[in-house]
Amino acid sequence: METFSVVVIGAGPGGYPAAIRAAQLGASVALVEKEELGGTCLNWGCIPTKTLIASSDLYAQMKSCQDLGLSAEKVSFDYRAMVGRKDRTVQTLRTGVQQLLAANGVKVFKGTASFEGRNRIVVNSQQSPGGSPTTVIGAERTIIATGAASAMPDFLPRHERVVESRAFLDLKLLPSRVLVLGGGLIGCEFACMLAQLDVRVTVVELLEDILWTLDADVRRTVRQHMEQALGIRVITGTSLSNLVPDDRQVRAQAGQEWLEADLLLAALGRKPVTAALHLANAGLTANSQGFIEVDEYGRTQVATVYAIGDVTGGVQLAHAATSQGLTAAENACNRRLRKNEKAVPVCIFTSPEIGTVGLSEREAREKDLEIKTGKYRFAALGKGLALGHAPGFVKWIADASTDQLLGAQAVGPHATELIAEATAAIRAELTAEELADTTHAHPTLSEAWLEAAHVLVGKPLHFAPKKKI
Amino acid sequence: MVRPVAMPKLGQSEEEATIVRWFKKEGERVTKGEILFEIETDKALLEVESFQEGTLLKILVPEGETVPVQSTIGYIGEPGEPIPVAPALAKPAKKVSAPEHPAEAAEISRPAGGIRSRPSREVVEAPSAEQAALEAPLPTTKEALSIFRISPRAARLAKEAGIDPSPIAGTGPGGRVVERDVTAYLKAQGYDQLRLTPAAKKLAVRENIDILKLPSQGQGRITVADVRAAMAERPTPLNRMRQVIAERLSQSYRTAPHYFVTVSVDVTDLAAFRAELKAQGKAYTLTDFIVKAVALTLVDFPVVNSTTDGKSLRWHSRVDVGLAASMEQGLVVPVIRDADQLSLEEIHAAATELTARARAGRLNPADMTGSTFTISNMGMMDVENFTAIINPGESAILAVSSAQQKPVVKDEQVVIRTIMKMTLASDHRLIDGAVAARFINAVRQRLEETILWKRLA
Repeated sequence: METFSVVVIGAGPGGYPAAIRAAQLGASVALVEKEELGGTCLNWGCIPTKTLIASSDLYAQMKSCQDLGLSAEKVSFDYRAMVGRKDRTVQTLRTGVQQLLAANGVKVFKGTASFEGRNRIVVNSQQSPGGSPTTVIGAERTIIATGAASAMPDFLPRHERVVESRAFLDLKLLPSRVLVLGGGLIGCEFACMLAQLDVRVTVVELLEDILWTLDADVRRTVRQHMEQALGIRVITGTSLSNLVPDDRQVRAQAGQEWLEADLLLAALGRKPVTAALHLANAGLTANSQGFIEVDEYGRTQVATVYAIGDVTGGVQLAHAATSQGLTAAENACNRRLRKNEKAVPVCIFTSPEIGTVGLSEREAREKDLEIKTGKYRFAALGKGLALGHAPGFVKWIADASTDQLLGAQAVGPHATELIAEATAAIRAELTAEELADTTHAHPTLSEAWLEAAHVLVGKPLHFAPKKKI
Repeated sequence: MVRPVAMPKLGQSEEEATIVRWFKKEGERVTKGEILFEIETDKALLEVESFQEGTLLKILVPEGETVPVQSTIGYIGEPGEPIPVAPALAKPAKKVSAPEHPAEAAEISRPAGGIRSRPSREVVEAPSAEQAALEAPLPTTKEALSIFRISPRAARLAKEAGIDPSPIAGTGPGGRVVERDVTAYLKAQGYDQLRLTPAAKKLAVRENIDILKLPSQGQGRITVADVRAAMAERPTPLNRMRQVIAERLSQSYRTAPHYFVTVSVDVTDLAAFRAELKAQGKAYTLTDFIVKAVALTLVDFPVVNSTTDGKSLRWHSRVDVGLAASMEQGLVVPVIRDADQLSLEEIHAAATELTARARAGRLNPADMTGSTFTISNMGMMDVENFTAIINPGESAILAVSSAQQKPVVKDEQVVIRTIMKMTLASDHRLIDGAVAARFINAVRQRLEETILWKRLA
């Protein structure tokens, strides 16, 4: 039996960086992956969707470029070519990961990992020509990074016209009418992309609004754009029932109304992948929702086993998994223990984009914190006007008494990029004054952060002063 | 004319009191008889009425501060009138001195003077005895004193840096700390090498947390979490009540040689009888029975119903039973007077009323003095057994634990009975072991004899 100081289970955006970092720290590292290197993010999540969105976004801009003094005629797209580009992008990145792992001396095992004991892991491999279908490896430390998969509740019929995000990405043809079930971030990203590609989209969400975890002003901006600019039909506070797929279409009832579409895209959250792990053999138990609980250092109930990313619940985002993976790898290699980072940005590639980090107004209210907010619209910036249509705003949430920046939200063009500055500021525990004293380049959209900080400090430059009553 | 407002004196033993709340802000009108402020003494919370009419020009003693009684705590006058210059700055030694006119002060505090009873709260009129107030010590705040020790510029620098200047050795005139001393201190302490986040610094400055004493929690820099941890660990002064408890109980435990005698009381029959009474609509607590049993027994054992000052022993003809009651801020012992003379019903009414007022923090000092014996009942706290410290001056205290089902031997059989342990703590200077044993067994017998209760209830 070959024994490694660190065995990482799952080669997604959490697992493969953890493996590389452990190897960098001198550990002998094995990485077990049952499907493709890069996991959901690279193969069936972030990367493929963002590749398609890059196409759909530009297509949408080309259709409405008259405002900028341009004209483009007979603008069209070839979905098959878009999918081809997506596949090549994924392949390029996958190869890159493979080379990186090899260069760092990480041994990759293809197959499904199961615990046989706390320090013994069996890798079951379906296709292993000539060799034994199972390999047993020893693990001094294990990092579980098995991720999550789309939830497909039992009420959804198993049918080719009812798909989740991963299966959708394998479609070679674009349906002309899509019913999106679930108005969370995945549902809304797909809805926006499809609507940009002229698909008739209806989103049905059980909760009172789409993107429910976000602050109301952010939701309002996005929903307004989705409905008015993209023509997406958004039905909220309504459940979908009587779902009947047949050869030609999908029919379902939302409230009193019957909806018809070519395809139903289920975006109902993601469930942890733990079934094959045989957690009990390692002395581990999943919680009631199936997640493996960890402490702030990424440790599970078992001293030698760490868990990171989607399988631990919490923020189910690739970069959160990466950050946790690096921390777990360092902690597993007996470095000085480091806590998981708390300032984790959330980026949603809707149209317009959304970026948030830290505390939201809603969370502050729930925690009874005294806060103040500073908001600034892109349309009030020189760069915002220069770009043409620039909906949205940035917003700081700060401690009312110390001015500490606790949270930030951005919605609008490049919001997913802009949130990086806010993340650095919040992690560094900057105050509004510090941010307001930081020179921001002109003319850029990032000036919105500066202006919003001036608002927080009470000295906005580009607002008329409030009338004293 | 500007008149001082003085901290009232409420009883012979009160030397200090704490301002809990000002009901008026500086600049607000006050009419005569209106409640002006609330104070906390070691025994009670009291609302104090204004004796004067005018504008509250100045509050000298902010909420939460404790000053000697008779101190000037504010001024009332007409807007624009000059406020007397604080004379006490020059004589800080007077800060803790006892009032100079105790007799006069006592007079003011007698009920016939200004005190008027309200349903649940005592209201006292602030003395207007200007003579007394003007001569009284003026409270000196920290800031006022510190002017002499540290220059304003140096103090400001220390404040802005978020450090405590008290360890700094001064090189200014008379050893006063001046700006260069703070600068040198910061340099010597490696202040510039500290890595701390802007928000952490701002919070530390606001909360007066000494940045130099902040340990970093290993993230390589001092963060808001580190400052908050220091804030949570900041010592807070004991409130007046806890200070009094500390003083009195330590004194008792030091001077009275305690020893403990424990008995198990079989309250099975009493509990059944109590349930019976309850079914008839007469709800008594176990405490009511205990108070009654103890009071009756005390009549037979006068030495246990005695008090001492350490030199002499005093037997009491009345049986006034104190009932220790816990409340949020500490412990109080309201007294049930003549408990031996009261019926169960009267004991129940008195105990209920007193404990309710104790919990609300609305007992008057008179409700809590003069007990001749004390009972501490933790029956509702699910405890097997405990010992108590004698209420200072008294000769013993009875600690009553929870009634619990136990296997016991009765008539050669192991049976389940409801057993309640009681422990008598006695002052060996007054009570010898045999007396204590006889006393506590007499109480036990009374509690076990339901015939007695059937007669009394």
